[in-house]
Amino acid sequence: MRNRTLVPLVSLTAVALVTSACGGPPTAAPEAGGNDRESSAEATAAVETYDRINGLSGQERTDELVACAEEEGELNVYTSNTDMDDLVDAFQDLYDIDVSVYRAGSESVLQRILQEDKAGYYGADVFETNALELGVAEQEGLLYPYKSELRDSVQEEGREAEGWTATRFNAFVVGWNTDLVPPGQEPTSFEELAEPQWKGRVSMELGDVDWFAALHDYYVDEQGWTEDEYIDMMTRLASNSQVAKGHTTQGELLSAGQFDVAVSSYSHTIDKAAAGGAPVAWRPANGEPVQPIVVRPNGIGLVKTATNPCAATLFVDFELTGGQEVFAEKFRIGSIEGTENPLTELDRFPVPEEKLLEDPDTWNKAYEDVVANGQALE
Amino acid sequence: MTANLADPAVTPEELRRPDDDTPEPRAARWRWPLTPKMFIVAGVAAAIGYLALVPLGYLIWGTFFDAQGLDLGSFQRAYGDGRMGELWGNSLAFAGGAALLSITVGTTLAYLNVRTAVPFKALFFAASIVPLIVPGILYTVSWIFLASPQIGLLNAFLEPIFGAAPFNIFTIWGMIWVEGLHSSPIVFLLMVAAFRSMDPSLEESALMSGASRMQTLRKVTLPLVRPALLSSILVILITSLESFEVPALLGLQNGIYVFTSRIYFVLRSYPQDLGAAGALAVSLLAVAVIGVAVTRLLAGKGSKTYQTVTGKGFRPRPLDLGKWKPVVGVGILFYFFVTVVGPLLVLLYAALLPFYQAPSWEAFASFTFDNFAQVFEMNSAARALKNSLILGLSSAAIVMSLMAVAAWISVRSTIPGRGIVEQLSFVPLVIPGIVLGLSISFVYLRFPLPIYGTILILLIAYCTKYMPYGMRYASTSMTQISAELEESAMVSGASWWTTFRRVLLPLLSPGITAGFIYILVVSFRELSSSILLYSPGNEVLSILIWEQFENGSFNVLAAIGVLMVLALMFMVTVAYKLGAKVGLRED
Repeated sequence: MRNRTLVPLVSLTAVALVTSACGGPPTAAPEAGGNDRESSAEATAAVETYDRINGLSGQERTDELVACAEEEGELNVYTSNTDMDDLVDAFQDLYDIDVSVYRAGSESVLQRILQEDKAGYYGADVFETNALELGVAEQEGLLYPYKSELRDSVQEEGREAEGWTATRFNAFVVGWNTDLVPPGQEPTSFEELAEPQWKGRVSMELGDVDWFAALHDYYVDEQGWTEDEYIDMMTRLASNSQVAKGHTTQGELLSAGQFDVAVSSYSHTIDKAAAGGAPVAWRPANGEPVQPIVVRPNGIGLVKTATNPCAATLFVDFELTGGQEVFAEKFRIGSIEGTENPLTELDRFPVPEEKLLEDPDTWNKAYEDVVANGQALE
Repeated sequence: MTANLADPAVTPEELRRPDDDTPEPRAARWRWPLTPKMFIVAGVAAAIGYLALVPLGYLIWGTFFDAQGLDLGSFQRAYGDGRMGELWGNSLAFAGGAALLSITVGTTLAYLNVRTAVPFKALFFAASIVPLIVPGILYTVSWIFLASPQIGLLNAFLEPIFGAAPFNIFTIWGMIWVEGLHSSPIVFLLMVAAFRSMDPSLEESALMSGASRMQTLRKVTLPLVRPALLSSILVILITSLESFEVPALLGLQNGIYVFTSRIYFVLRSYPQDLGAAGALAVSLLAVAVIGVAVTRLLAGKGSKTYQTVTGKGFRPRPLDLGKWKPVVGVGILFYFFVTVVGPLLVLLYAALLPFYQAPSWEAFASFTFDNFAQVFEMNSAARALKNSLILGLSSAAIVMSLMAVAAWISVRSTIPGRGIVEQLSFVPLVIPGIVLGLSISFVYLRFPLPIYGTILILLIAYCTKYMPYGMRYASTSMTQISAELEESAMVSGASWWTTFRRVLLPLLSPGITAGFIYILVVSFRELSSSILLYSPGNEVLSILIWEQFENGSFNVLAAIGVLMVLALMFMVTVAYKLGAKVGLRED
């Protein structure tokens, strides 16, 4: 009886292995990307349109673009931006274009677009997400350069990559509960938060590896600290900390008073809660907030195989114009030079995207260890 | 009751079903391959095999192979962590504790609901399901608001009596408490099905022969529902080992790490290390395969052991609680107050506030319906609700119909390899949601029919994901139905299909209803594979919930939670009433 049941299992597993083998290694890292992409009809047509639009300027470009986009009549956005509903509403108020949105976490959107690309299924017209994932998509050859006068007015750190353009920035700030941290006693630096008087009053977030890597470069490369000094400070910070998962939950627990300070909140999470009346802040009434403020660009890229290339380009235009106001309403920090920027005059430091992309495991492991070792300290 | 499994003298051969020795009549039927029975059985087995092998093949391929060939590096990356021992220790303590708690709670509630004359049965039933409806993160955060040493409301209330902070939710005990309560509806539903199919005359005989109520419970009632108990333990152990919501929100706060925190880290880098995640899932697969084998062995020993639905007519009659009635009544009220009303009140309270603050006149004065208004204003809320309903109802119906046949194959038939059907149906339980999503999109992106990008792909994912639960519910009920009923129908000239439809299905209805309710409820919060597979227009409710978690307001989330509880409680009550109309009737 035992053998009778074993034989079908083995043969079924074998069948499964063979079937999946035919399709190539499904979970291996994407290599060269879809081979058929460059020669596909979609790519040929889209690239031709992109080149034509990129070559125009001024009113001529706008007129041509709007006419062509409304003729296409549709737009498919793949995004991890949770304010997309408001952007789309504002965009559809201006243009007669039907927008479909696929939205998921940044890792999932990336997985989706890569998987579709490999299978020769071209669902996205624009790809809008975090710098890291945009970097991967560019590296895989999925994106096509966007050129316009608008792009030239984006802050410099937001237009370094050719394949995508920053539309807004996420800023990691130190936020506190104003009921628990009275005025005058606000934290002034990360070093201070690692001191014993903050024991049990601080919160770190489980996944903020990018924040950790940015501060590493700030302290080690800019301030001349040794590797050990930085790890030691972070470990002591972790030993003072309760660890939360997810910025929204962390923000809610901060305003509820579960902890006094969150070391890597998003500025928009704090600003939005404060606008609703919650007792939270990241800028003291007198004096300066904790610096440096780690910033990470979020942006948008044109997809090379777009079926609606004009609408795609028009949407990028929109994010850099009317979209900037939508971002501001949502307490986000826009990327266009000269827009009212709460970070101007503050010490900012960018997330080292390339390093993280090259060797994600080392950074993940380092942050995971620092947090766990810190918590193990008494 | 019969042979003891722990007895080494009993070999697996002796534990075989007696039918195995007398294959003549059935084996003879098997020689006619072109009967409807053959088509149905083969079709169901093939469907299960297909649904299970797609993600399993993908998982195994990604774990053991890379572009160059066999590669075991993923195991090194997954298990190479120096703290692995500690992580597993915490995981096992957490899962074991949660299983123990949910089984005690779920079984007690089910017994009281089905076998005793408690009042308000439908309400009692619906209330027992509530922890299942509330998404895990919401349920956990409610408990933080109740029992955190810093801000817990219960701690504040009880401080005058017990001193500062009698409860601390950020401990392994807190984790067990929350996970155990959150999982208890799975056990409750399984045990409700089991108790409803139980012949009370067995207990009555024990009582008549002088056994006390406790003795009867211990020696008669509980042994008779052993297959359901085993199924519950298996499912809860594995789901708790996989769970990351509760450990992440409660354990990490004080540095209690579990092994799923490794899965979290290997999946959050780019490229996602699916190999390492797969390597971790392989150990769960081993637990699952052994677990299913053990339950089969136990359920199989003397197939009559658990068959309480026999040719002898009976009507499950509720037990009169007598003088215990007030005690039980107060106990039930207390339980619901603590596990259902408490967290729900906190959710409702949070849903009415612009931001969370401790209760005060000032807080009450700031009550607003804005959060609810925001839910209804979301662009795709109505469509998402409709899609979730369609998917929940149809996946529950499809899974339970497939599994009713599958349970017959596994428990009742003598078809060679029938054990495999049960094993395969259990496989998706150990596949991480993201791997399930990736494997399904991988296949359907290359499939000739246009399934990718439609709601059908979500239906396939849901059927795969809930197949293990469906099988537990259906097969547990099947073990309780005596073969003699089926045989009498056949002898009277009914075909297999008629027998199945007219005799077995109605008798299986307690298990089928329970499984249906379970799938309907949990499908509403399926996220990990939905998020990869949905397309614009096919949004489901869990996607909206996720958006609020990513960057929204916890208070809007609480409003969604409250609305979900109301909607699903209504549906569960309807399903319960409908289910009670079919099959075994109570007096």
